[in-house]
Amino acid sequence: MKSAIRATALVAVTALTVMPAAKADTELSLWSHWADQGSKIEFIEAGIEKFEAAHPGVTVKPTWYQKNPLFAALKGALQAGQGPDVFYCEPAQTEYIDNGFLLPLDDHLEMSNIEGWAADTWRHEGNVYALPLEAYTVEIYFNTEMLEDLGFDLPEDGQLSAADFKKLVEAAAGEGITPIVQGAGDRPFPGAYLTHEVLLKKIGIDAYGDLLAGTKKWSDPDVMEALDYMESLIEAGAYPRSFATMKLGESHYYFYSNPGGLMLPMGSWYTSRAFNAPDQGGQPEGFPLGIMQAPALDESACPECKTANIGGSFCVNAESPNAELAAEFLNAYADPEMGNLWLQKVLVQTGIKSDASTVSGPHAGYFKMLEAADKNNTFFQGTPHAILKGQCLETFKQVINVAFPAGQVGAGQAAQMMDQACSAG
Amino acid sequence: MTDASVGRGAIRPLGRVFRISPDGPPLGTVMTFLTPALLVYLVFTAYPVLRTFYNSVHILHPRAADEYVGMQHYVQMTTADPTFWVAVKNTMIWAGFAPLLDVGIGLILAICLYAKAPFARFFRIAWFTPVLISYVVVGILWMWIYNFDWGILNGALRAVGLESWTRAWLGEPDTALVAVMVTHTWKWAGFNMVVCLAALSALPKEVLEAAELDNCNWFGKAWFVMIPMIRPTLVNLLILSLIGKMKIFDLVWIMTQGGPLWATETVSTYVYKRAFQWQTFDLGYPSAIAVFWFFVVLVAVMALKYAFRQRDRLEY
Repeated sequence: MKSAIRATALVAVTALTVMPAAKADTELSLWSHWADQGSKIEFIEAGIEKFEAAHPGVTVKPTWYQKNPLFAALKGALQAGQGPDVFYCEPAQTEYIDNGFLLPLDDHLEMSNIEGWAADTWRHEGNVYALPLEAYTVEIYFNTEMLEDLGFDLPEDGQLSAADFKKLVEAAAGEGITPIVQGAGDRPFPGAYLTHEVLLKKIGIDAYGDLLAGTKKWSDPDVMEALDYMESLIEAGAYPRSFATMKLGESHYYFYSNPGGLMLPMGSWYTSRAFNAPDQGGQPEGFPLGIMQAPALDESACPECKTANIGGSFCVNAESPNAELAAEFLNAYADPEMGNLWLQKVLVQTGIKSDASTVSGPHAGYFKMLEAADKNNTFFQGTPHAILKGQCLETFKQVINVAFPAGQVGAGQAAQMMDQACSAG
Repeated sequence: MTDASVGRGAIRPLGRVFRISPDGPPLGTVMTFLTPALLVYLVFTAYPVLRTFYNSVHILHPRAADEYVGMQHYVQMTTADPTFWVAVKNTMIWAGFAPLLDVGIGLILAICLYAKAPFARFFRIAWFTPVLISYVVVGILWMWIYNFDWGILNGALRAVGLESWTRAWLGEPDTALVAVMVTHTWKWAGFNMVVCLAALSALPKEVLEAAELDNCNWFGKAWFVMIPMIRPTLVNLLILSLIGKMKIFDLVWIMTQGGPLWATETVSTYVYKRAFQWQTFDLGYPSAIAVFWFFVVLVAVMALKYAFRQRDRLEY
């Protein structure tokens, strides 16, 4: 009896001692992409510091991944109920929402500090499911000195006519310069950048939306006109022979270091690699970087159209025992001060309200150039690989992203394959 | 009940100790040693396999009840999924040719070493080394070799004036599958070499000396004496290689991820894509592919065993 009383007392004392400590030592787990992108890691860590300072006893433990391993790990972990409290997510991942894995954040985030268009990207049935941190536009970066050497001048609006753009590609190829440095070896989208920009301009926002929704055919005459134009560029030697296997990081290096190329169509998150130190794969100091608009075919429905998208976002695991606290953690980023910090550190647009004039330092000029390049554009929200699904997406990745720009299939065959895959659902 | 009335192997009490057989160890001891291994087997092999069978006839909703759909996935897979058949075709091509290459090259290398070719000790290590390298390293190494701009293969072709032969070996549908197969063979030929060398080294000297007395040259000895005598080893290597090829994933994923234009898509890479890159949590359809392929591999192995069965036992 005595020993039973002693044991009960010991348990009670231990519980009283340990429980408050456990509460005070809550650890939030964060799984994020961007393992090799120092500026973004710095930004996230700044947010963690801010949150931890405001919440004594709570720590946030980030784990950095590359994107594909992260997505594979999340699939298993979430289903097993072992997912992290907060994780990196992208708007295309609607399956998280469909299966109830994401906590609606409307009541947790300071929505007035988030751009409306950015929140809308993550709005499903009235709820916003993520903090839309990274926003980007699809730009065509180019080497200004090379353009000049080839005898071309960019008009004030930064947009060459379709005919002039083709002449530029031919001139560069004729000089042994790779006109469009691009690789689709490890990503399902960069090979399609120029194609979908030309297409968007040609058919306009509504028809382009219909095309991606599967209600417009790829064999439509207007779509075919854009694809035929792209085929003429490809036949003129627009892309490198190593296109199908060149990786994203390699295409950056190819563009601004060795052997060098004329243009690199890329999301405006170009900076997260290019503005690293040169010995870490960044562009050389003083690199003559410019931004031009994609060419618009004659009689294009929307010559000023451009693709914008929300990229890296953060979601809260609805099944997490710390879901409320995790949402509070994300709210630490929903603050114009953090928005400005993102601009300053990462030099990419953000869905958090921010003031671009606060960007200073060696890359301030770049940000002004980017702002000028986007000033007169009308934006279509979403890239094809973020909108298409299933077999249609798989065919897009294989055909429009790789085989078509690599010259392995022509415009007609590409359209036929897309129609077949997308009509089958 | 007497001991005689109990069949051999039945569990019965002997005093207070249960034994599987009268002279065997006590049941408790047997179970103590067996249980950990059995548990590991049940949890990590039996359950996943059974679960895959179950998944293949369901649509899985992670936070709701599974939906039984019978053979729907199997019907869809075989009648309405062209990518699946491309993956099957590529895997069959691989499984049809690569084992012959692996084992054939391994055998030739083993015979070279057995014949005490110059620098045999060096070559034994050099040829076996790729087996020890991980797929990731092998994949990256060969992606460099195949690189269009600065890869050593195109570099060599340019150096000998064959510029027109240069190509993006992994980037073109016509060459990508062969390029990955060559890489795989490079990695595994050394393993086959070592096993063949061990089998050759175990052959009785008298038989080979008798062949020499009969004026048999090296080719004759290899073709008519050595190869028939190590036939069981070769068959086992072929079967192991076939199974490996039917499941090939790692190298393809590292080098091409099934592209370009599905030219290197294998059944395993397709299963992975459907399971983890198809923006769904439903593992039903990929499970159906996995189950279907399990039976294909099983039938292939049985057919191979039957085709290469030894009718006459060699005695020496």
